[in-house]
Amino acid sequence: MKNDTTPISRTAFMEELRRYQKGSVTRRHFLGVTGLGTAMAVMGGALPGLLPTRARAQDIGDRVVLATWPNYHDPANFDAFAQQTGALTQVNVFGSNEEMLAKIQAGGSGWDVFVPTNYAIPTYVMADLIEPLDLSKIPNYDAAAFDQRFATAGTIDGKVYAVPKNWGTTGIAFNSTKTGGIVDSWKTFFDGARDKFDGRVMVHDYQLTTIGNALVYHGFSFNSVDPAELAEAEKLLIDVKPHLYAISSDYQPAMRNGDAWLTMCWTGDGKQMNVDMPEIGFALGKEGGEIWSDYYAIPKDAPHKDAAYALINYLLDPNVNATEALAHGYPVADSRTNALLPEALLNDPILYPAAGALDPLEFGAAVTLTDPNRAEVMARFKSA
Amino acid sequence: MAMTQTRGRALLLTPAALWYAALLLLPLAVVLIFSFGERTPIGGYAPGFTLAQYANLPARMAAFRNTLTLAPVGTLAALLIAYPLAYFLAVRVSVRWKTLLLVLVIVPFWTSILIRSYAWIFLLGGKGLPALLASIGFEDIRLLNSPFAVLVGIVYGYLPLMVFPIYVALEKLDLRLLEAAADLGAPPWRSFVQITLPLSMPGVLTGSMLVFILLMGEFLIPAILGGGKVFFVGNALVDLFLQSRNWPFGSAVAVALVVIMLITVAIYTRVVKRYAAGRDDVAMM
Amino acid sequence: MRFYALAVYAFLYLPIGIIALFSFSAGRSASSMEGFSLQWYGRALNNPFVMEALWTSLRVAFVSAVLATLVGTAAALALTGMRGRLRATFDLLVQIAVMIPGIVIGIATLIALVSVFDLVNPWLEQITGWSLALGAGSLIGAHGLFTMSLVVLLVRGRLETLDPALIEASSDLGATPLGTFRQVTLPQILPAILAGFLLAFTFSFDDFVIAFFVAGAETTLPIYVFSSIRRGVTPEINAIGTMVMVASLTLLIIAQLLLRRSQAQRRA
Repeated sequence: MKNDTTPISRTAFMEELRRYQKGSVTRRHFLGVTGLGTAMAVMGGALPGLLPTRARAQDIGDRVVLATWPNYHDPANFDAFAQQTGALTQVNVFGSNEEMLAKIQAGGSGWDVFVPTNYAIPTYVMADLIEPLDLSKIPNYDAAAFDQRFATAGTIDGKVYAVPKNWGTTGIAFNSTKTGGIVDSWKTFFDGARDKFDGRVMVHDYQLTTIGNALVYHGFSFNSVDPAELAEAEKLLIDVKPHLYAISSDYQPAMRNGDAWLTMCWTGDGKQMNVDMPEIGFALGKEGGEIWSDYYAIPKDAPHKDAAYALINYLLDPNVNATEALAHGYPVADSRTNALLPEALLNDPILYPAAGALDPLEFGAAVTLTDPNRAEVMARFKSA
Repeated sequence: MAMTQTRGRALLLTPAALWYAALLLLPLAVVLIFSFGERTPIGGYAPGFTLAQYANLPARMAAFRNTLTLAPVGTLAALLIAYPLAYFLAVRVSVRWKTLLLVLVIVPFWTSILIRSYAWIFLLGGKGLPALLASIGFEDIRLLNSPFAVLVGIVYGYLPLMVFPIYVALEKLDLRLLEAAADLGAPPWRSFVQITLPLSMPGVLTGSMLVFILLMGEFLIPAILGGGKVFFVGNALVDLFLQSRNWPFGSAVAVALVVIMLITVAIYTRVVKRYAAGRDDVAMM
Repeated sequence: MRFYALAVYAFLYLPIGIIALFSFSAGRSASSMEGFSLQWYGRALNNPFVMEALWTSLRVAFVSAVLATLVGTAAALALTGMRGRLRATFDLLVQIAVMIPGIVIGIATLIALVSVFDLVNPWLEQITGWSLALGAGSLIGAHGLFTMSLVVLLVRGRLETLDPALIEASSDLGATPLGTFRQVTLPQILPAILAGFLLAFTFSFDDFVIAFFVAGAETTLPIYVFSSIRRGVTPEINAIGTMVMVASLTLLIIAQLLLRRSQAQRRA
């Protein structure tokens, strides 16, 4: 089994990944060609303990409801989960943590599993919307295997409320043929918006990153809630607004058709655009910006708790997690999963930037999400 | 006879009354209660009695101003485009095609407004109409993410709501009236002004009111075609409920919006009553 | 006149054409044409979430439109010719229901229903073993609230322009009230009822705002579409839109043909 697949070269792998992401080859073909399938089969066979064990339909019910982000899973994994456990996964897809929080806070969401980002978790705990997880029901979660930077936010007061899914950054996507090169600073981003990129720049439609990066432009913390610093950020944003192409978190279409040249951008989107259009690059702001990590958590009022645990456990299986990563292109913090991923992917500068580039980045803070002044700054910016 | 009639009426009205009580009055009462409450530090609602939320309303002045400007303009534009079409469908089209053409007005709306708005993003974006205009010499025209784009989206999105009531009003127009007018030597414009237009007035008013009212609460079209730069009260509400989760303030904005609408409707009703007083053939909401 | 109508139809169908065109794109982007391919149709049809969302939307739209049409028409019939305080109250309710923005109705309904469920469910569970939750029911109710009011407006507008002499004549000729309704009133108000039903169905099928709040764990097609387009549109969405369009047009044409045949039979 070991030697029947010749290791694939880096360029050939990236070529295959590109074809796979474009949908011109099937997952099976991709896994076969890259040798990943073999690796996974070997792993699965060698470590049966990693396979989901709670595999009786009557144990967990016939369905589980997952609230997550778009393009964040491999649908084939849900099929496999249904075959193993008899529970169909119903996927609800959301656009921001604020939306998810609003829906859970109102009650009656009907969700069993959801995917909060690091800075949202303390709020869920404070509002008594999630409970500590029963880790005995998630044997596939091996805390030691995870990079602590992307796992600690799930633990509050020593209790594990959420287990890590993926991580990423919020940087700058630029169309290098239009911008004339790499844009890797928020100074160029906001000054250029009022100058040579007039009418071609996009910012996010939620306060955390838009205000955060405007703060970073002035040399303040991404998470600042200081009124004086916020006032400076507001002044910058309102000054820039007439020159913006749009205030929208849906920036891919405008970037792809050339109407927008520059945008605030998440890792996965940067990767997806770069794969299809190499002239679109992704860089981190050298002054700073956001680094984030997503987690799996279970709402307190989840109707199918057993199924929720089974699903999280299944998705944390390194074999499953590796196929997930191949489908969505976001970095994983689990060393067991990374051991299964091809080196080319692990060396990809968009997914895994050099450690130095990550240094100035900050994790969003809980108060950044809920600060009422930041919300008002955003409202004034948008209605100006 | 009178007795059974009353009982029959009560029977016919009961389902609607229950519906309104459970899903209109109860939720509205909740919003009103919330608008006097306070926001907890992490968002949401905490019981209380304060007028602070109402005192804070000027913070959304810009949104109210934008809405009260673009909503009337959008309504007028939709009316001007819808009227001739409704007239054509009601009066000029033969019976065999009428239903088909009428339903064709509504069929595009079975495709999600979201998808259709994205199509407009392409049409108004750099590779759509501006590219076409550039090829005939008008360089660098940017249409997307502007109030104009929002207006196009509004007219597109609300056209059937304008066409249908006008159509319903015009459909019972007795063509013999027009023929008689023509026989008596009235020029077409005169029979239009004196016969057709008054007859269609209920439809015009209903349609305009519907569109205007829906525009007052619109948020998707400004968000998608205005690129987030055109900010309506609806957008303010969405942000308050879904982003900052300031439910009490959001409730106060909602109450203010509803009050503005009630005033508008009251003025409208008065206008209609005055209009109807002169003509016994007009009855309105 | 005919050219004008053509122009308006072109305006209405141009975006639809664009959607259909891009659904055949071979590329990943839904806003440019890169080669020809049917792959996105296969993907959409094989995507269980799309199919489930479509089914949910159809079910909710149909049930809420039927209920709204029945209840709204009944109310309109009762209200016509009615005077007094009850009439004024109802007029106000109809007006408010029509003019409350979807976002307000959505959030208000959500909060109100959740509060009620919290109160009622412990009892209900003890007695029946069942409990109430947001879902298709709350979707139907919230959509129907608005569309029922539209139906009331449309049908009543039609009823009030009805010639009372016709009804008098009918009862003078010895027809029962029910007979008069079926023979005289119903044929007259049928176009308005039909228009109301179509509007109601369309509104519900297309609604995103209200559904987003009150759908609970259900996913309607607009909710699916909205969440999918948040981070990059693929032509799969266009393929879905095109298929819905073609399906509804086909139904429409079949209905038109059936209608014409029955008319021809009646004449013959």
